[in-house]
Amino acid sequence: MFEPPVQRLIDELARLPGIGRKSAQRLAFHLLHVEEADAVRLGDAIVAMRREVRLCIRCFNVTADEQCSICRDTRRDPSVVCVVERAQDIPVLERTQEFAGRYHVLGGAISPIEGIGPDQLRMQELVRRMDDEGIEEVIAATNPTVEGDTTALYLARLLKPLGVRVTRLASGLPVGGDLDYADEITLGRALAGRKEL
Amino acid sequence: MRVVWLELRDFRSYDAVSLEPGPGVNVFIGDNGAGKTNLLEAIGYLSALRSFRGAPDAALIRDGASGAVIRGGIERASGEVRVEIEIPAEGRRRILVNGKRPRRHGDVAAGIPMVAFLPDDLDLVKRGPAQRRDYLDDLGARLSPSVGANLVEFEKALRQRNTLLRREGPAADLLALEAWDERVATAGARVVEDRLDLIEQLRPVLGAAHSRAGGGSGIEVRYASAWAGAGVVAGGANRRLPALTDSLREALSARRVRDLEQRTTTAGPHRDEPIVELDGRSSRSQASQGEQRTIALSLRLAAYDLLAAHHDTAPVLLLDDVLSELDPTRAAAVLELLPRGQVFVTTARDDDVAAVGWRWTRSGHDASWQSDDAGGTG
Ligand SMILES: [Zn+2]
Repeated sequence: MFEPPVQRLIDELARLPGIGRKSAQRLAFHLLHVEEADAVRLGDAIVAMRREVRLCIRCFNVTADEQCSICRDTRRDPSVVCVVERAQDIPVLERTQEFAGRYHVLGGAISPIEGIGPDQLRMQELVRRMDDEGIEEVIAATNPTVEGDTTALYLARLLKPLGVRVTRLASGLPVGGDLDYADEITLGRALAGRKEL
Repeated sequence: MRVVWLELRDFRSYDAVSLEPGPGVNVFIGDNGAGKTNLLEAIGYLSALRSFRGAPDAALIRDGASGAVIRGGIERASGEVRVEIEIPAEGRRRILVNGKRPRRHGDVAAGIPMVAFLPDDLDLVKRGPAQRRDYLDDLGARLSPSVGANLVEFEKALRQRNTLLRREGPAADLLALEAWDERVATAGARVVEDRLDLIEQLRPVLGAAHSRAGGGSGIEVRYASAWAGAGVVAGGANRRLPALTDSLREALSARRVRDLEQRTTTAGPHRDEPIVELDGRSSRSQASQGEQRTIALSLRLAAYDLLAAHHDTAPVLLLDDVLSELDPTRAAAVLELLPRGQVFVTTARDDDVAAVGWRWTRSGHDASWQSDDAGGTG
């Protein structure tokens, strides 16, 4: 045990994902030794983020306003929605500049082991958007994991009866990499799913 | 391929031990409790990343220690691979291959071919289908990393579906269950496809191994599946995968009521039965103990031969206390492998293996293993 104020910070840091006891201690002692202004700036940034940022009422992306900048952008196609597990997946897809529709953040993927069923995700909110926004296509961009795949399959069963087209991101080879460095499993599946040219 | 050095810390009975095995046959001679099987278990862990005795990781940590460490250097044609494993009493184990975390654990087993012959290998023939499924799955994963990845994926999907059934039972969300059916079906079909491919590779090799071990020519492997008809199983390799996926999806949906009541998945690769037949009889129920022993041995010999051909190098061979139980013909079939690569043998009697290679003894529980000069300690 350290002095209570130090121990309190270590305990808080250790609760963060990917940070173990030892890293938490290292971070705490680092913050103890930097300029006070630097430490305060970090604290302020955390507080400001929590106070100023909330979830978009339409898509559950993070935003400083009622709606996120993507939902507010009138040039975007309202008929296509890309469904992601987490808000941090949106900037990744945005950087491709290939997608001009809107998003929907589910808040995770179906995983009975973790006690996450459709009711724990923003499925009903998504269903409501179909009618409200006249959505015609939903792209399931959940992670290529067993849970992400199953969530995509669930979305298809949930939304197809509403006359919505449900598509899944194709999985394939990383562009620009050499074939001989590609992951064998990715390569194997890409081979099995090959297309005529 | 060979193990060039091994270091253990707080592993089973050892507080610290290091060893530089010889390139050929290494015989560890000692009484029960001398720690010779523990040594083989550690060598096997370097490749399989688990105990060949099926022991949980916690059992590998020396009593009272905070964690076990296994380190080893393996020489391959492409250079030395250093495998380091830390098994802490609390928290996750850490695995490093050449200082880096392997992308998938299965890549380690697929890259470092080893075969273990164990005293209870008879269970492969005598006991239920689970032993034979594991045999096929382990061997398949050693031959191709994608087989290992397919298995991991299927097991994950199955565990999720079973958890849903167990927790919710008849109240389970039907759409979610259908989605899991689909995911289990695609993953399960890949597992069965891999097993069928392996059986085709195994057939000729197993036949040859069986005659070498003193058995007749009538050995055959069949794959019985309650959900995939014989026509699907026999289908050509290209048509088989979609047919298997469809069959499993249909079986899961046909058994929905039963699965919901029993709260578990009652059809799939995890219930299938690989069957070894001898002259058309089931070797499990209709073969003599002697015939069963020959078949069990042949299965291991065939695994060795397949791995040797696949890697174009002799796998590391682990023989745990098995030679003394074999009759001369069967022992000869095993000993035939000895000149081919590196071998680790444990025995209580030091006349089991002819005086070739390195003979290791230990004068007490705290002593280190010493080799005589037979192998040339230089
Ligand atoms: Zn939004």
